[in-house]
Amino acid sequence: MKKRTFLALGVFAGGAVLGTLAIAKEQLPEHLRELLELGMHPGHVFVDEGRDYYHNLKGPNGKTCATCHGQDGSKLVGAYAKMPRYYKDIDKVADIDLRILSCMTKYMGFDPKDKKFKKKYLKTYRIPLSTYVASLSNGMKINVKIEHPKEKEMYELGKKVWFTRAGAREFSCAMCHTVLAGKRIRLQGLPNPVRDKSYNHWPAYRFGSDRMWTMEDRVRSCFKAYFLFTKRWDEKKDWVKKPPPFVKEVIAVELYMKHASNGGVIEVPGLLR
Amino acid sequence: MKKIALVGAIAGIGLIVACQPAAQKAEAQKPKKELSKYEKFKIAFYQNQDKWQKYCSNEAQLVPQGISVEEFKKAMLATIKFPPGGKVMGDWKKGEKLFGDPKKGGKSRRGNCYACHCGDPQIIACGNIGPSLRGYGKKGVDPKQTYMRIYNSWAFVPCSAMPRLGYWGVLKPEEIADIVAFLHSPESPINK
Repeated sequence: MKKRTFLALGVFAGGAVLGTLAIAKEQLPEHLRELLELGMHPGHVFVDEGRDYYHNLKGPNGKTCATCHGQDGSKLVGAYAKMPRYYKDIDKVADIDLRILSCMTKYMGFDPKDKKFKKKYLKTYRIPLSTYVASLSNGMKINVKIEHPKEKEMYELGKKVWFTRAGAREFSCAMCHTVLAGKRIRLQGLPNPVRDKSYNHWPAYRFGSDRMWTMEDRVRSCFKAYFLFTKRWDEKKDWVKKPPPFVKEVIAVELYMKHASNGGVIEVPGLLR
Repeated sequence: MKKIALVGAIAGIGLIVACQPAAQKAEAQKPKKELSKYEKFKIAFYQNQDKWQKYCSNEAQLVPQGISVEEFKKAMLATIKFPPGGKVMGDWKKGEKLFGDPKKGGKSRRGNCYACHCGDPQIIACGNIGPSLRGYGKKGVDPKQTYMRIYNSWAFVPCSAMPRLGYWGVLKPEEIADIVAFLHSPESPINK
């Protein structure tokens, strides 16, 4: 009897080891598809959280997002497909993160100079709300138009930033994502967002780093790898790790990429490595 | 008593006079020191871009027409500095750390060669942007040539994807010599 149980245990253990090896070998897309079929997409947690904020987060003057934009975001369907674009009320080209912030300070009564609120927005409200609003446009085609003079100006700036080589790594967005696209940095493949219309799955959940990211986070983190510096390059003193949020260079690059993705069908939240 | 008061008053005035220029200096220095994050970013992104990077910032990311490649290379060659004594081979064990595999103690991102090149055959997490460097020491390249390529790669291939590590001061000349030793030394795992 004992021998048999040992044998069974051995077979079981061997099976487990082989099983884990098989999982490790399996390509990611298969793995992701299974997760999606099971309804276990981690990004959906953020959509639900965003829906909660949308209906229940009250500004100092008692308004919620739903007061103006309708129950379940009925008036925001398709809004994300046109972003970033020029908004008359704030006189700026805004992406989704900046648009929601300006809504909150302009119409919900939050104080734009209140540092505590800004911090809370950046850390807590921004990503769930952006993801929820973006997910309302699921299944629609990206349709960014460049008509207003400020949009044209931003598009030109975005194109310029895309090709600008700067910093101690001699990088530009184009170096990795146009010229070297398809190759690998270590084991990470380099996508080509301009050719492949791959803007459609942002904001995305990245399970490598276990967090939800909007495109703004993605672009700002890319700038971190540029090794930009204020004086002569010094890792400790002079390295400018990220541009601050909502600066025009970041929004311009988003506009450039999203315009290139026109026609892609939005599938939010995405699931990436 | 009067004398003490007088001395005190003089001393007080003296103090005020002495302090004033210091306070003025502090005021003059303040606006210089407090750059906002965006201002820092703009300096880094626009002002610190050098002439050569500007040439390469086009759609092909290569040397544009109208700029002589030969002159470009010459100007880049002139920037190369050698470590004291002209010793281009250092300590290969330090070089291995700078090569940048976390298992071999390469925590710093400054060298990070494995991002684009393969080196030690034991390490498979390496990029394929640059050519593989496995067995590099057996190819008969002059170590001085290797040193110059790492110090300023644009002296050989202008506008290449490889950063000019010595030119910007990301790596010191001695550190580049350590990497050269890691590539050339027969004891290093690259050549085994």
